[in-house]
Amino acid sequence: MQTSPASTDTQADNLRRAAIDKSVKGPVLFLFLNGAFWLMASTILGVLAAIKQFAPDFLGACSVLQYGRLQPTHINALVYGWGVQAGLGAMLWIMARRSGQELRVGKSVLYVAAIFWNIAVTIGLVAILLGRSTSMEWLEMPAFIWPILLISFLAFAWPMVFMFGRAFRPEGFMVSTWYILGACFWFPWIFITANVALHCLPGLGALGAGINAWYVHTMILLFFAPVAIGSAYYFIPKVTGKPIASSQLSQMGFWLLAVLGGWTGMQHYMGGPLPAWMPAVGAAAGVLLLIPVGVVGLNHHLTTLGNHSLVASSPTLRFVFFGALFYPVSGAILALISNFSTGATLQFTQAWYGFQIVALYGFFSMTIFGAIYYIVPRLTGCEWLSVRLIRNHFWFSVYGIGTIVVTSLVAGAQQGGDLNSPEMWDQDFMQLALNLRPYIIARAIAWALITWSNVWFLIHLMLMVAGLGRRSSAPTLLEHEHEDVLPQAAHA
Amino acid sequence: MSAPSSFPNPDSNDLDRLHAAVKREKADLAPGQEPAPMWVIFLFMIIAIVAGGQLGPMTGSFSFNISNPFSTGQSGDPRPGNEGAGAAADPFQTAMKKGSSGYAVCGGCHQGSGMGLPGQYPPLAGSEWVLGGTERLIRVVQHGLVGQVTVKGQNYNFPGGMQPFGAAMSAGDLANVLTFIRNSWGNEAHMITKEMVEKVRADEKRATQWTMSDLEAFKDKDVPGEIPAGPGATAAAAK
Repeated sequence: MQTSPASTDTQADNLRRAAIDKSVKGPVLFLFLNGAFWLMASTILGVLAAIKQFAPDFLGACSVLQYGRLQPTHINALVYGWGVQAGLGAMLWIMARRSGQELRVGKSVLYVAAIFWNIAVTIGLVAILLGRSTSMEWLEMPAFIWPILLISFLAFAWPMVFMFGRAFRPEGFMVSTWYILGACFWFPWIFITANVALHCLPGLGALGAGINAWYVHTMILLFFAPVAIGSAYYFIPKVTGKPIASSQLSQMGFWLLAVLGGWTGMQHYMGGPLPAWMPAVGAAAGVLLLIPVGVVGLNHHLTTLGNHSLVASSPTLRFVFFGALFYPVSGAILALISNFSTGATLQFTQAWYGFQIVALYGFFSMTIFGAIYYIVPRLTGCEWLSVRLIRNHFWFSVYGIGTIVVTSLVAGAQQGGDLNSPEMWDQDFMQLALNLRPYIIARAIAWALITWSNVWFLIHLMLMVAGLGRRSSAPTLLEHEHEDVLPQAAHA
Repeated sequence: MSAPSSFPNPDSNDLDRLHAAVKREKADLAPGQEPAPMWVIFLFMIIAIVAGGQLGPMTGSFSFNISNPFSTGQSGDPRPGNEGAGAAADPFQTAMKKGSSGYAVCGGCHQGSGMGLPGQYPPLAGSEWVLGGTERLIRVVQHGLVGQVTVKGQNYNFPGGMQPFGAAMSAGDLANVLTFIRNSWGNEAHMITKEMVEKVRADEKRATQWTMSDLEAFKDKDVPGEIPAGPGATAAAAK
């Protein structure tokens, strides 16, 4: 299809891609818009939860607004409200485009699934706030929610798998769609395994905690990571106009992630009451994952090499570049919290939150923002309104995420070091937690910055979806110092 | 997701503009064929070695019964009282272990070294009272001892003598402590069982302390009773 350079009829090819865009327009925009709403909700809850951590009297004694309910609601809104939802939108568009397939039937099924997804997330989050949390990390929503989420996901995964099956795949290996196809299969596997084990099997004891940690790790490694890497592999060559540097590296990165991703998780409970080999295998896989992570990072580096001026001007590439940069960073942090020497210090500290946020936000969300900045103008037929809003979104996100991740890691190192230090034997746990206040205050400020950027992102997106974007054939670029470049050759 | 084409739009027929974003897209290209650089492969080897380090010593021999990452599989569960996974606990070793903690009560006077204090408390190490007849030893600890005592040729006469400790201890605890003192600091003698202590308690119910002359009769008398086979029966040293 588009991959063949010998495309004889450019006009027909353009019309074909426009037709593909039109066929997936409604569901994709619906997912993006609702995702952006949940993202804003999640970041506001993130601010409140952080404030509650250093000032417990804030917002009074109302049980709904206590840290123990705000924090899981914040994370669940980020994971299911924003993460999976926006991820599905990007997956659907990329899969349709890359396979050259229109969404032929079942558009209404997708709408229904998307609506049910959002209803389920709403009920689940309200239930957590009302105290019906299951208290299992990332699975706090009541037990009746997960089948609805699963069926809704499958309704989206089904057409994507079919698109891939129908596609003409000339080069034999379509990097981005392989990752997305993988995510279509891995999410149901992880989600069913964890939920059936934790909600349906009785009396797992300590193993239940291990399965829970496995779920969080594999969700990051086998759903969020593939969707984001798939997007990066699609958008970086698309914007730069240069092919992916090495197909060998991309195959290595994909298969190693596929093989190793499912083995991590139990190392979260290293030294705990699990058979010793389970954390050991998790720790080994957590360190080994540096290989696929490094391979993909290197491949992206080689692909963008020499095109860094585009990072400054193209909103898509700027976000995707930053997100792709944070894939190796997330991998390094995972190796830090997974191995037995530093992991013993960082275990059960703020560093764990730092890892979740760097993976979910610094890596996944930033990449998906880039995807949204690319996809939405093609679906709505108008261009992004304001360069300043995009720029604000980028810088507030970068500084906010950087602050959260760095302070969480440093706080985790301090907390873990103090807890393990024999000289601190007379300090109780609460005192050590209270010593972290400066870091938590920084986290609250950082989430407030991110909230500010996300409010404007949501408004910007709503205006775009309403068709109120800029009426122009030129893309919205962040910098224009390269005036010699013609608009037709522009990179958004 | 209101469609922009669904409301009056002056230029909705402008196909060029509508498809501008699509038209300016760059063509998809097949990935390049650059091989992975050699230094990358070396770097990954180092990572693999570090990862193997997480696995090697930490797996507990891949047994489902071992949660201690440093266990080799042979030493079993490291918790006290569960020596040797699977194997039945040896009664002599158990008595020595429990007796050593029970000895804390005795150590106040007789000292941790079992040497006592010259002129005040007689020694236990090498003492004929400890190594001799079990009948006399049990009676001393059960009912106490007062007046002048001769141990290893030295005379001791601590005011008030030794208190009757037996009343406050179970027969099992007392037997464990006695087994411990008979097999520590170079002492070697067969173990004293719970049944032996119970037998003495049943025979003798006095409320006053013994004197040395009272016990002369029991000097070489052993309480009859079965001794579990193993090192405790053959009077082997614990260490």
